[in-house]
Amino acid sequence: MAPPESERIASAQQTLDILHEMSQLLNTQLDKETLTTCVRLIESGVNPEALAAVIEELRRENLVRNGGSRS
Amino acid sequence: MSDLLPALESIVYLLVPASRNDSSLRNELVTISQDILQSRIGQRHEADIGHLSDLIKRQLIKTTDSESASLRFTNLLSRLLDQPVLSRKHACVQFLQSVSSSRHSTTGPPFLPSLAPPPPSRKAASPSSPSPRTPLPQVGKSKAERLREYRLQSVAGTPLPENLLLRDTLYLLQGISGRYVQFSPDRDLDDQHTLEFVESGRYYISAPTKALIHRLSEVGYLYTRVDVFVRERGVAHGVGMIEQSLCHHLQLKLTEYYRLIAILESQMLNPSSDGDNKLKQESGLTLWRLDVWINEWRLRMRMMSVCVEGAKESHGGALVNLIHSYTDNGDPFIRTFTDQLLEEVSKPFFSTLHKWLFSGELYDPFSEFFVAVDSSLAHVQHVHPSSLDGGINQLYDDKDDLKFDDMDGPRHREGGLRLWEEKYRLQKDMLPMFVGETFGRKIFSTGKSLNFIRYSCRDSDWVVTREKMSNTGGLLKYSDISGLERSIDAAYSLASHRFFDVFIEKFKLLDHLNALKHYLLLGHGDFADQLMLALGPSLSKPANTLFRHNLTATLEAAIRSSNAQNDPPDVLRRLDARMLEYSRGEIGWDVFTLEYKVDPPIDTVIDPDSMVQYLKLFNHLWRMKRIEGTLSQCWMRMAGGARTILRIPELEPAWHRIRGRMAEMVHFIRQLQAYCRSEVIDSSWKMLMEFLRKREGDLDAMIEAHQSYLGRLVRQILLLSSKTGKEENVLTQVTDLFSIAIQYRESVDNFYNFCLSESARRDRLHDEERGIYSGPPSQGDEDEPLDEAIPRLTRPINEYGSQFTERMHTLIQHLAIHTDHDCRRLGLRLNFSEFYRSKKDVKT
Repeated sequence: MAPPESERIASAQQTLDILHEMSQLLNTQLDKETLTTCVRLIESGVNPEALAAVIEELRRENLVRNGGSRS
Repeated sequence: MSDLLPALESIVYLLVPASRNDSSLRNELVTISQDILQSRIGQRHEADIGHLSDLIKRQLIKTTDSESASLRFTNLLSRLLDQPVLSRKHACVQFLQSVSSSRHSTTGPPFLPSLAPPPPSRKAASPSSPSPRTPLPQVGKSKAERLREYRLQSVAGTPLPENLLLRDTLYLLQGISGRYVQFSPDRDLDDQHTLEFVESGRYYISAPTKALIHRLSEVGYLYTRVDVFVRERGVAHGVGMIEQSLCHHLQLKLTEYYRLIAILESQMLNPSSDGDNKLKQESGLTLWRLDVWINEWRLRMRMMSVCVEGAKESHGGALVNLIHSYTDNGDPFIRTFTDQLLEEVSKPFFSTLHKWLFSGELYDPFSEFFVAVDSSLAHVQHVHPSSLDGGINQLYDDKDDLKFDDMDGPRHREGGLRLWEEKYRLQKDMLPMFVGETFGRKIFSTGKSLNFIRYSCRDSDWVVTREKMSNTGGLLKYSDISGLERSIDAAYSLASHRFFDVFIEKFKLLDHLNALKHYLLLGHGDFADQLMLALGPSLSKPANTLFRHNLTATLEAAIRSSNAQNDPPDVLRRLDARMLEYSRGEIGWDVFTLEYKVDPPIDTVIDPDSMVQYLKLFNHLWRMKRIEGTLSQCWMRMAGGARTILRIPELEPAWHRIRGRMAEMVHFIRQLQAYCRSEVIDSSWKMLMEFLRKREGDLDAMIEAHQSYLGRLVRQILLLSSKTGKEENVLTQVTDLFSIAIQYRESVDNFYNFCLSESARRDRLHDEERGIYSGPPSQGDEDEPLDEAIPRLTRPINEYGSQFTERMHTLIQHLAIHTDHDCRRLGLRLNFSEFYRSKKDVKT
């Protein structure tokens, strides 16, 4: 008894909106696209804390890279 | 994990834009990300949305300092929870929270605190970036890298899946080695329970899990011990009933345990077949849950194992004691467990107790009861069928068949008292503590009395009826200690009452004691006088000329001619006269004795040893009686003769002295007799009668009372001192006085005879002077002149007289410092007029 496709998309959109708002509230500085990917990962069973660690790691990597390129 | 790759890649692209052009960098980052995802980060937490939202709110308040943000978050969260799409909403929220908190705290909480950040050395990993140090904080080796290194250093492989461990653990609980966890094979040798973990290949078991499994396996180990014990006892022979019931109880408990294991096993199987994660989390079995389930059993198993240990060393009542010592535990769980256990275990004990207490039978095939039977006496009727005619086998005799013929046999001495004292023994270490020692003694004595009434007194009907009556009163139980005490008290008083009834009314103990007092202690004065008169002449003859039948005939005559004839014939029949073993030169006085025979079960109270004491007393009193008789005869002759025939004026002073000395002796013997009779025998008798009238206590008390009665008699009549080595000092003095008195009497008799012949001679001379012929002049008249004969005759009289007085002095001195109060009083009696003052006193 799956709901109609359009309805599902709408509710998914709504959920994502809520999560995005929450993310802004928490000042995570994740853009909507990244957040969507992350949520998808979590839905497929990835541990949220581990994923957070990944995000942090990648950010740091980016920082190093940018810093390196800047200098 | 492979399906995650595109998503990971896209994240990498989004967050590190540089990697879009650099594929090696991209690959490296993706690998790092995968490592992090597969690490154990975040596995410790159980999901709880409430806790999480609290955490976030606290964080929001801290960072924004406003209530509105928190309110907004609550609003958002509730809206999110309403959404149907996501299945792991809390995980998403947690993800956001984690990202946010790692952003806020610049350093971030180190998730592996033991690893200090090593000096940054990113050069090798990223050669493309020349590395002038940026002022950015702690850009070194990434945490993922550190984790990987740590992983490589410590252990290889992945943790063993929990369901495999669970299965093994369930095996362990049943004492079976599992596939990954095994009992070390040599555990039987050193009795240490050690586990071996088989870490094969890529699986490893983490240390906390190992500790947990160790905890769990303790139960399995204890189970094996209990189980082995129960099995061993099940096949072994000669296992005591208490132990059997312990085994039974343990077996019941183990069955319950099996049931638990079965339930746990089914719990473990169900969710895994289902495969639904959520269900597994709610109802499935984990090692921790198992630990909780098994926790209660751990305590129980420990208790059981302790009991098993105890059962190896102690036995019967001691085992009950051991278990009982745990009932005082403060833990109500242990207390109830032990109470239950004890209730079960003490059942055979109480059934034995019941039999013992109400029927006097000891049914204890494994000698577990605190009363032990002496096996040599228990089966004595099979060994010596004729030895104990009053003992056990009289049960099989006819009731009226009293046997007297073999009473003189030496085996008779084994009878009553020994049977009573040694057939059953109280074993204190087997006595359960909840019974207590005083009650234990009561139980012991009650059963013993019943047994005695039943078998030795042949009064089994009464016991049987009593038993039937008491059977209706309900069973004895551990949980009803006060009831137990009540029934013990009731049984005790009933048994002891019946006991006194049997002894006094059926076996006429009082008659026998009276007879002993009257005959052996010369209570019947007329009888004693008659016997003395009748026997006197023949007892002066040498012992070997006496015959027993003459003595018994004389005894008969004495009984018939005195008041003793009114005594019951049963008593008179037992009275006998006989001679002791004699040696050369002894006369009848030394060996004659009266005897009183008792038959079982009275001989339990008046045992052969007591009879010996009675005979000793008789001997002494009889001698006293003899001295008294001799002295009074002598006195009568002398006093009568002095008035009529002994008219020799010059000898009058000598006779006066003799009379004085004689009075002294008569005084001595009279006082001694009066002392024995009134102060010793009758007062002791009164005490004994008071005890018997009270009817308290058992046979032991009765024996004790009789013994103390007899002991007092012996001590005070024989004037025994309690000083060791000097016990019979005073007694020898008294017997010396007796013999001196007899010798004195003999010499007085000689003197008397001389005086008689002298006065006859004078009469004749006088007659001749008057010219009357009164007879032919005797030939020996001139043999000895008067002046020589008188000193020859008076010398021994004076000698013995002074000896007597001297001895009296020492006797009185000794009596004055005698240890016994009553004996001191005898000294006072003898010296009431202070006639025997010591020379020292006289001088002062």
